[in-house]
Amino acid sequence: MSDLKETLKSQIIEQLSLEDITPADIQNDAPLFDESGLGLDSIDALEFIVLLETNYGIKISDPSRGKEIFHSIDTLAAFIENNK
Amino acid sequence: MDIFVTGYGAISCIGLNVQEHFDSLLNEKSGIKKGLHPHSERFLVGEIPLTNQQLIDRFQLKANGSRTGLLACIAAKEAFNGQTEHPELKTGIISGTSVGGMDISEIEYRSFLKEQTHDLSKYKEHLSGNAAEEIANELGIDGFLNTISTACSSAANAIMMGARMMLQGQLDRVVVGGTDALSEFTINGFRSLMIFDENWCRPFDESRKGLNLGEGAGFIVLENSKSLAITKSTPLAKLKGWSNASDAYHQTASSPEGYGATLSITEALKVAKLNPSEIDYINAHGTATPNNDLSESQAIKKVFGDIIPAFSSTKAFTGHTLAASGGIEAVFGILAIQHGYVFANLNHRNVIEETKLMPVTKTMKVDKVRNVLSNSFGFGGNNSTIILGEV
Amino acid sequence: MQLISSTYIAKAAIKKDGVIRHELTEDNWLKECYQKMELDYPKFHKMDNLSKMAFLSLELMKTSAVFDTIEDDTVELIFANTSASQHTDLKFIDSYQHQGNPSPSLFVYTLPNILTGELAIRNKWYGENTFFVASEFDASLFTERMHHSAQNGKKLCLCGWVESKLDEKNMPELEECFLFLVAVNKETSDLAQTNFASDLIDLYKNNQTK
Repeated sequence: MSDLKETLKSQIIEQLSLEDITPADIQNDAPLFDESGLGLDSIDALEFIVLLETNYGIKISDPSRGKEIFHSIDTLAAFIENNK
Repeated sequence: MDIFVTGYGAISCIGLNVQEHFDSLLNEKSGIKKGLHPHSERFLVGEIPLTNQQLIDRFQLKANGSRTGLLACIAAKEAFNGQTEHPELKTGIISGTSVGGMDISEIEYRSFLKEQTHDLSKYKEHLSGNAAEEIANELGIDGFLNTISTACSSAANAIMMGARMMLQGQLDRVVVGGTDALSEFTINGFRSLMIFDENWCRPFDESRKGLNLGEGAGFIVLENSKSLAITKSTPLAKLKGWSNASDAYHQTASSPEGYGATLSITEALKVAKLNPSEIDYINAHGTATPNNDLSESQAIKKVFGDIIPAFSSTKAFTGHTLAASGGIEAVFGILAIQHGYVFANLNHRNVIEETKLMPVTKTMKVDKVRNVLSNSFGFGGNNSTIILGEV
Repeated sequence: MQLISSTYIAKAAIKKDGVIRHELTEDNWLKECYQKMELDYPKFHKMDNLSKMAFLSLELMKTSAVFDTIEDDTVELIFANTSASQHTDLKFIDSYQHQGNPSPSLFVYTLPNILTGELAIRNKWYGENTFFVASEFDASLFTERMHHSAQNGKKLCLCGWVESKLDEKNMPELEECFLFLVAVNKETSDLAQTNFASDLIDLYKNNQTK
């Protein structure tokens, strides 16, 4: 699971063009969409949906579920594990 | 100075000309259906059921390139209604588009990917400015040409620019509006933003999920008194107000409190020298996205207070025709004034909980429509409003 | 019509009022410029090239004192180019034809006027904004529009020619941003307007040559 989390961090950085961030900067439990985390926005949430489909074959059709699934690296990794 | 609207033209999934549009509005007949092409057949869209060649043949067009250009020529030709160039009149064309020649570029890019070669000449129609040139060629106008590309507010901004150029004496007569064809590009784009409804869209409804895409073109002809004296056109309406403002919130979403929309509505009323109570019908932008309809509702409430005029979104008829929407909806505004009708906000069941605004859900004859306010809000926070009134 | 400040940015250099402020050598010259200017605006990295160029050009210009006194709806944004958002359009097409899924963050930038939205968001400007498509840099397009602005009571116009044009291999052939801030007033005569347009063309061409 911790490999998955590290992989996710790299994938997110690339997919969302987070050029000033390294994987070490992202805490596993930090709220990604909060200013205290990565301060991501609604378009980033949509890119997460693309990432899940392209890299993990998981399709999300309801964007409003995004907030809970993408809350943090922890919740995202757990979601992927449960839906593989 | 009075600015008269003396011509109108429209083409969309609910009509090939203005009369057909009026009939569809009266009969509450939406044109949103499953698409006819590989890129649209899985979705509900507002597609015009004619191929490019059929459009060219039926309307005897000189143009024969991008679909966006063809649609523009058809609507502009109807609006111009046989008028001609005149040595004493400064005539112009201002056209709005977002898709431009994308339909051709999509095909060309696919073959580029396969063969890694390019016929660059095919891309020349990708340029957004092409439609204005095609209209000029079609109508035989050799005057000021301009193209505006501000997303869904393009046509409204074209109308506004035409009005201002007339007020400054730079033009006497101008053909203004917008055009966009359906394309795989925009279907994919709006789907990726997850504001695309797989079912029939529900503007201003609590359960709305997103838009249906449409295609079309809408153009009007504006003339000053000098031009009227020469062309002897019959005015259909007056263009009384216009404005544009920035929402400054997000690239594609509107501020929840409708800040930019409030600014543009308020300013347009000022330009028209009208009180909110003098507006009898609002043709809303009403795309049926969760975001727009709430934001726009907040703005309408802020400006109109407790006395909200009859309002509706006609996008459940036509789909969201992107850059053409301001032009097509200007035509609807003029029809409303001419005939004394307000048009249905189709597919509505429940008001938005947060604002409780109730649109007009049936097309109705009313005593009088003195003034119509029409909103067009584009990505990039580009908010525009125009006001049309009786002559 | 009076020019307050201008900036010009292209792969070779970024200039303010005709003077080179930074020389750029890397392939990713926009990122290089952002770093050399020591900016802190993470959203920059998500923008397309048009928005990045406009953003950087404006940040450089903002060192002028006039920006301290601008009220939030008093600047009109007037922008134009030839290729609209062609560069990003093709990237977006690639994302669904080749990469498998359409990218929402690319789609956002498939409209040239998003760059004016970015400038408005950054600076909290609520005034008018527009984007024209023209076959080449046309100074009179800007001066005409500024003339209208002045008649409508505006005092300041921020104008920009922001272009990202591709060659036949879909690589950027010309990327440049020419930004100019102009104080406008109602009384400008036609002749003064014409002269200003002519000066603008000279300024643009001088900036293009290193």
